Parts: sequence; C-alpha cells; structure tokens
Amino acid sequence: MKVNTLVKFALATAVITFSGAVAHAQQAGGSLVFLVQPEPPTMAGYVSTSGPIGLLGPKIYDGLFDYDNDGQMVPVLAESVDVSGDGKTVTFNLRKGVTWHDGEAFTSADVQFTIMDVLKKVHPRGPNSFKEVVSIDTPDAHTAVFNLENPAPYMLRALSSYESPMVPKHHLEGQDIKSAKLANNPIGTGPFKFIEWKKGQYIRLDKNENYWKEGRPYLDRIVGRFVPDASTRAAAMEKGEVLYAAYNAVSNVEAVRLNKEKDNISVTTDGYSMINPMALIEFNTKEGPFTDAAVRRAISTAIDRQYMIDTIFFGYGKPATSALSSNFAATGLHAKMPNYPATGDIAAANKILDDAGYKKDGDGVRMKAMFDLIPYGEDWKRGGQYIQQVLGEIGIKVELRYEDVPTWLKRIYHNYDFEMNLNYFYQLSDPVLGVHRHYGSNMIRKGTHFVNSSRYSNPDLDALLSSGMTEPNAEKRAAVYLDIQNILANDMPVVNLFELEFLTVYNTKFKGAYGSAMGAYASFSDAYID
Amino acid sequence: MREFWSRFSRNRQAVLGLVILGLVVFVASIANLIYPNDPFLYSRFPLSGPGENGFLLGSDSIGRDVAAGIAHGAKTSLLIGLIATLAAVFIGLVFGAFAGYYGGLVDDILMRVTEVFQTIPSFIFAILLVAIMKPSIESVVIAITVVSWPAVARLVRGEFLSLKNREFVQACHTLGMGDFRIMLAEILPNCLSPIIVIGSLMVATAILVESGLAFLGLGDPNVMSWGFIISDGRSMLRVAWWICTFPGIAILITVLAINLVGEGLNDALNPRLRERS
Repeated sequence: MKVNTLVKFALATAVITFSGAVAHAQQAGGSLVFLVQPEPPTMAGYVSTSGPIGLLGPKIYDGLFDYDNDGQMVPVLAESVDVSGDGKTVTFNLRKGVTWHDGEAFTSADVQFTIMDVLKKVHPRGPNSFKEVVSIDTPDAHTAVFNLENPAPYMLRALSSYESPMVPKHHLEGQDIKSAKLANNPIGTGPFKFIEWKKGQYIRLDKNENYWKEGRPYLDRIVGRFVPDASTRAAAMEKGEVLYAAYNAVSNVEAVRLNKEKDNISVTTDGYSMINPMALIEFNTKEGPFTDAAVRRAISTAIDRQYMIDTIFFGYGKPATSALSSNFAATGLHAKMPNYPATGDIAAANKILDDAGYKKDGDGVRMKAMFDLIPYGEDWKRGGQYIQQVLGEIGIKVELRYEDVPTWLKRIYHNYDFEMNLNYFYQLSDPVLGVHRHYGSNMIRKGTHFVNSSRYSNPDLDALLSSGMTEPNAEKRAAVYLDIQNILANDMPVVNLFELEFLTVYNTKFKGAYGSAMGAYASFSDAYID
Repeated sequence: MREFWSRFSRNRQAVLGLVILGLVVFVASIANLIYPNDPFLYSRFPLSGPGENGFLLGSDSIGRDVAAGIAHGAKTSLLIGLIATLAAVFIGLVFGAFAGYYGGLVDDILMRVTEVFQTIPSFIFAILLVAIMKPSIESVVIAITVVSWPAVARLVRGEFLSLKNREFVQACHTLGMGDFRIMLAEILPNCLSPIIVIGSLMVATAILVESGLAFLGLGDPNVMSWGFIISDGRSMLRVAWWICTFPGIAILITVLAINLVGEGLNDALNPRLRERS
C-alpha cells in the first residue's frame, strides 16, 4: 500500500516535471464526458436561451466572434469588424473557406438570414440586441454590412455562438423557424458535429474533420450526460466518470469538498462574466412600506454582503458596489458607488431611519413588511433568513414568504402584490442587454417576467438610459452610465447584493477549456485531455 | 386513578416513554429560558462541529445554534401535534357519532364523504394542501387535521354502532332522554378509551408529517421546527453531519416515546384486551 502510494507520487512528480518541459503539448484524441443539467428541450439555440442548450449548441454552431476572459473580442466566423464614424454602418469581414457540416459553403447570405429572419424574429433577446439593424447588405460572399438606424455599441457584445449562433440558410429558408427540423438535427460550422441524442441519457457530438481552424478541435468526441439527481452528479464527478460540470450542476458545498479532498478535481469561477448574474432585492416603490428611498438605502447599508457570500455561497461571489456589475469595468461602465458597504453597518442604517423620522415602538419595531424569496432552492431561503435577522436589528420586522415558481412569478410580475423580493438577474454582457429592463419606465410591462417590477419611473433616468443605448463614443458612454449609477445608488428601487459566481467543477486532466468568457457556453475547440 | 396508574406502570416501556416525553415537554417549556435568543439568529461561526465555538450540538450553514433550534423546535412540533390531533379528533367525533348513532342515509352520506378523504394517500394529500395554501404554521395544522380525522371518524362510528343498541342506551330512550344527551353523556364516555389511544398515536404521526413537510420545504419559514433544521442541513450531510443527525434523533425518540405511551394507555384502558393476550 505504502509502496504503491510512493510509486504514484514518483510518477506524478515525473509527469509534472515532464509536462513542464514540453509546455503546451496538447494532444489530439480522447472524448470528453461532461454534465448537462437539466436535459435541454431542443438543440435550437437560435430560438431559446435555455441554459442546457448553451452547454451543447456552441460546440455545433459558431458565432461571429467569441470573447476572452478580459472581455476582448476574438474572431471566429468574422475575421474583423469595422464600425463607421457615425456608428451606423458595421461591416463584418467573414472568414473564407468555412463549410457547414453538410458540406455547403458558409457565406454572407447565411449571416444576413440569421440576423434578419431568425434572431431578430424568434430569439428571446435578439430583437433587443439587433434592434437598430434595419438591413444587411451582402456586396460579396465574405462581406456583411449591417445598416443601423442608430449606433448600437452593445450589439458587438452579443455576437457569441451562445447569444447569436450563425445558422444555415439552406436548412431554414421558407420554413417555420420555430418548428424546423434543424432544432433536433443541428447543422452548424462549429468544431463538433451532432451525431446522436439518446433521450434521458446523453447527446453525442463527434469531431468536425473539416473545421476551419487548423488542427482543431483536439477532442474526438464530446458526450453531454443528463443526470437528474444532485448527489449522483457529485458522485460521478468524484469517481471521474464525468470531467466537467458547469452552472452549479455540482452544488457549491459538494464542489468545495471535492476541491479540498480530491487532488484531481478543481473549481473555477471563470467563464461567467458574459452572463453576469447579480443577486438583489426588488422593492415595490409604488405602495407599501418601501416607497421612501431612505428606507431602501438603510436596508442596503445594513446588509453584510460579504457574510452572505462567505456563509451561504461558500465564498463564491463579489459584494455589489453599484447598480452595475464590476464585470462592466472592462468597457468602462462600472464605478464604485456609496450606499453599498461590503460588510454592513447597522449603526449607520439605524441613523438613516432615525433621520427619516421612523420611530421605534416599545418592541424596537419601526415597520413591518412581507419578504418574498425567489423559490430557486435553499440557498435563497437561507439568504432570506439572514436578511430577516439583519432587518430586525434596524427595526424592520419582516415575515418570509416562499411559494412555488408560477405563484411567485405571478405575484411579482403580474399582480405587483409584493413589498420586497429577493431575486437574481443576469446583467449579461452590456447594461443595455441586461440592466435597462430593470429600471426604464418603458420596462414596466405587466405580465413580462424579470423586468421593472419595482415600477420605478424617473424621466431623468429614462433620458440617460436611451442616450446610453445609442452613444457610440466609449468615454461619453461611460459618463452617461456614471450618472445612471449615481441616480440608482441614491434612489435604489433595487438593492444589488452581490455578484453571484457560478462554479465550474472540473477534473484537472481536462484542459484548454477555460480561455473564453463564455465558459461552458464556448466551443471547446481548444480543449484537450491530458 | 390509582388502578389506572398501576396498570399503566405494569408496562415498563410505557413508563420509559412517559419519562422521555416528559423530558421533551420540559425542554420545550424552558426553551425560552435556556436559549433566550431567536433560534434563527445567525452567527459568525457557520458549520461549527458539536462543542466548537460554544455550540453544544454544532451550528448550521449560517451559524445558527442547532441545540437552540432543537429546543425551540420541540415547542413547535409538540404544539402542532397536539392542536392538529385535537382538531382531528373533534371533527372525527362529530362525523363518527352522527353516522354511527343515526345510521341509514346520514351514515351513508357521512361515510362516503369520509371515504373520499381516506382514498387519497395522506402524506401526498397533505403536501397538496400546504402547496395550495401558502406554507405557514396554520396551513400545516389544517393539512394534518384534514388528513387524519377520517380514521377517528371510522373508529367512533364503529363504537357508536355497537353501543347504541345496548340496554343502558335503550333505558335512556325509555326515560325520554334527547338524542344529543344520550350521545354526549352516555355513549361518548363509554368509547373514550380507544379515542384516547388513537389520539395519542396521532400526535406522533402529526409530528412526523410536520417534519416531512418541513423537510420538503413546505414548513413555515418563520417558525423553527425539527424538520426545518433537517431540510436545511440535508445537502451538507457529508460536510456537517450534525445538522441533520441531532434533530433526527429528537424526532425519533419523541415519536417512539409517544408510541410507547400510547401503547401503555391502550393496556391501561383496555385491561381485558391485555389479559386475553
């Protein structure tokens, strides 16, 4: 036994030394088995943004660009992009010699069709991302010229294969796009070809031998496995049956344990900056106890964000410092604001409420409220219980309410029958795509989920939001968003708590899949097994 | 009374059950004294093991004291068990008494209604009820009551059926007593003992159902209970075993104790049954 361990240790040392000597010795071959949770409804990433589609779709379809971990654009199907001085003409120079999995050539006509007839029409976020695109000219097979009504700088952040996959015109033209056969037999230009879908078990993709990128992909095969039970997923990871699990398919508590106990299992929080999830509290600003901004500021001041991250999410997360995520710092759209203390300040919060004239009664209670919790599992329940205690310390007595998802959605987004609500939002890759929907007066849309449920309406902010949407100059745009953040740090219709960090758990022999900001939603063309 | 006690104490296990139950009631009644703080109060020491950082039985994921939770949870569990049982016994008595005493059409109607409730698996029915109403202590009590009264109704009906033709009841009729008085003052006292026994066992079931509901996340999020602690610690079983284990033991011994006491009551109240066996 002991000798065995020694031999293993010696071998491991040898391998480490050896691999150090021949750095970047990516080897071709092997197959990757990874967790896809839950099973996707279809493979039509151009119709639905559902998470599990994102795990497999981008391996089959390419986008025009990818984004690296610093948020920089990486050419994929487009080799370069030129934006005209007025920001209204955007020219993509497409890669030559790219073919679809069925052998047909990829041309500018496919780009034109994808944007105008697919994404702008049936994609959930496409109508927003490509709102300003009036028409697309195709002067030759490798040039696509987007003609815009107004400048739309955020559009360049929505070109990944997850957000905007390029689809084959010859398989969709003249059909009803939502029900086309392509949904279950995807044909793309990506590094892997769709082979087989065993319902309830797995989806298998094989290497695309004619991929445009020389020598890629390294892997021969990718298998996405569906395992419905959480503890079975953790066990499969532990035993090495699967090598990769993203989007908390393995829960935080198990991930932390595996990371500690197993030498060959690691965790990373990279690969989620384009999703950009933010935990927050929405307030009803029209009726109930939270119509006064001072009370909302007091609540933001009292909450110990770091404590919530450390205890409830096992250290994964970053305290929010503004209405915008710090991931927008890459494009200069984030500034640290007051009223978002990382560790919470009960005394200051009490003072805000005292100054605003809310007196404590004999039991130390200033006001009572009902607190709804997002019904997405026990982490959120624990978060609610913590906040309940903290608010008790500043004299706000809250009762918790935890309902099923449809009832909760109806209460918050149809009936506005709530006072405060714990929730999280994807801020996505640009404020226009993920944040505007939360604050704009035009986003008070009764019955639409995850928009402005606070019914906060401020004409000054509306004006700033629309100029932020169309301002092509990066510096001027940053100034606009600085004003927006200042207004929101003062009015706080929504109190941002912390930037959630989803965890990817992976076996250390699976390498090369961590360089894209899209993380698990990337192509894996550079991934290999050591 | 002395005779009752001597028969009860003949069953050693019943006495043991009574002692344990007494202990649980004692802990529940002094919970506010030994743990004056809110049992939901978080601390800076999450996932401390038993004995660490001053936590007798460890702390949970946001640093709440498991021991304080168990003490305060005892109050909740016992209260829910008692109230739900009393309510179920009352409803069951009314249904069973009328059905058994009057028979005929009344019996048919009342028993068909009872059967509707009995044919639905009780725990699933309870889940459904709590899910429809919002999860709160009231809705949990209502759900437990709704699923447990039919058993009482059947039992009471049987007792009333067999007692209503006895001579002493007929004598009452000839004396000109009213129906209600006969049911309340004459028949009911004579069928009290099986009701007490089934009632005591129902308290145990009620505690189990409440824990089960809380475990599934359908408990009142504002009230500390044993099932709540277990449901909270379930996902961390491999990291922090103590969160689930101690409240689990508390449920186990409490339910066991109540069952033992119930059995003892059965022996004491139905002496002939015991002598026969």
